[in-house]
Amino acid sequence: MLEYLFANKNVEKILMYLSLHGKAYAKQLSRQFDAPLDPIQKTLKKLEEGGLLVSFLEGKTRIFQWNPRYPFLAEIQAVAKKAYMFLPEKIQETQYSSLQRKRPRRTGKPL
Amino acid sequence: MNLTKLALKNLACFIYETLKKAGIDAVLVGGACVSIYSKNRYQSFDLDFVTYEELKSIEEVLKPLGFLRTGRCFIHPECPYLLDFVNPPIAIGNEAVTEFKTMKTSFGSLQLLTPTDCVKDRLAAFFHWNDAQSLEQALLVAESQKMDLKDLKQWAKAEGHEDKLKRFLKDFKARS
Repeated sequence: MLEYLFANKNVEKILMYLSLHGKAYAKQLSRQFDAPLDPIQKTLKKLEEGGLLVSFLEGKTRIFQWNPRYPFLAEIQAVAKKAYMFLPEKIQETQYSSLQRKRPRRTGKPL
Repeated sequence: MNLTKLALKNLACFIYETLKKAGIDAVLVGGACVSIYSKNRYQSFDLDFVTYEELKSIEEVLKPLGFLRTGRCFIHPECPYLLDFVNPPIAIGNEAVTEFKTMKTSFGSLQLLTPTDCVKDRLAAFFHWNDAQSLEQALLVAESQKMDLKDLKQWAKAEGHEDKLKRFLKDFKARS
């Protein structure tokens, strides 16, 4: 039932990231953790197959987020949030803070 | 067994019986239940089974029938339906599902979600993602089967989606 959670070291990183930011895509996580893309993609797929995450296509990008229908969601989110709090501040800043723009920007405005 | 011409319900029974004979217990969930309960007014091409058995054991049973495994799914070159073995537990939102319906056909028996749980399952997708297709599927099942309305209302309240249940009940009433 939960074996997919303990598959590899990327699982906890992804869960902690999602507990902070809510959604993510593979390339973004690969850049954020300075890790190869392929294992990240495989881990996201495993988490999706386990039922914890769901994904949607936005343009050509597959965005992963928590599955609100997953029965153990609140418990796993709580563990991920708590685990993040135990990380050294330096790792919190380098790997988990997102400087990506989240507010909207009108179409046609120069970057 | 010619899998090409088997209807969804018969294929589901055949797979369920084949797994059962191998000692594998499974429950049909998802859109295939909608197809069965709505008498194919909605046509699903996915047969989602939940089982606690290892996929390797399932593969040993399905491979001789010509099914090829890709991840948690099994496909057959001559069969239009996809078999997907969904990770347990069987739950609808925060509620664990422990009671199922067993139906019998000439192809054997089949264990699946009850009509009320099937409606809840579709409504959960409507609640969380505003998915209009899921609402329509819930209505199709509700029109064809008896539901436990009291249970449905209690569940929606516990899930915090009484407003969206009202929308479902309004549509249901309008179509009855």
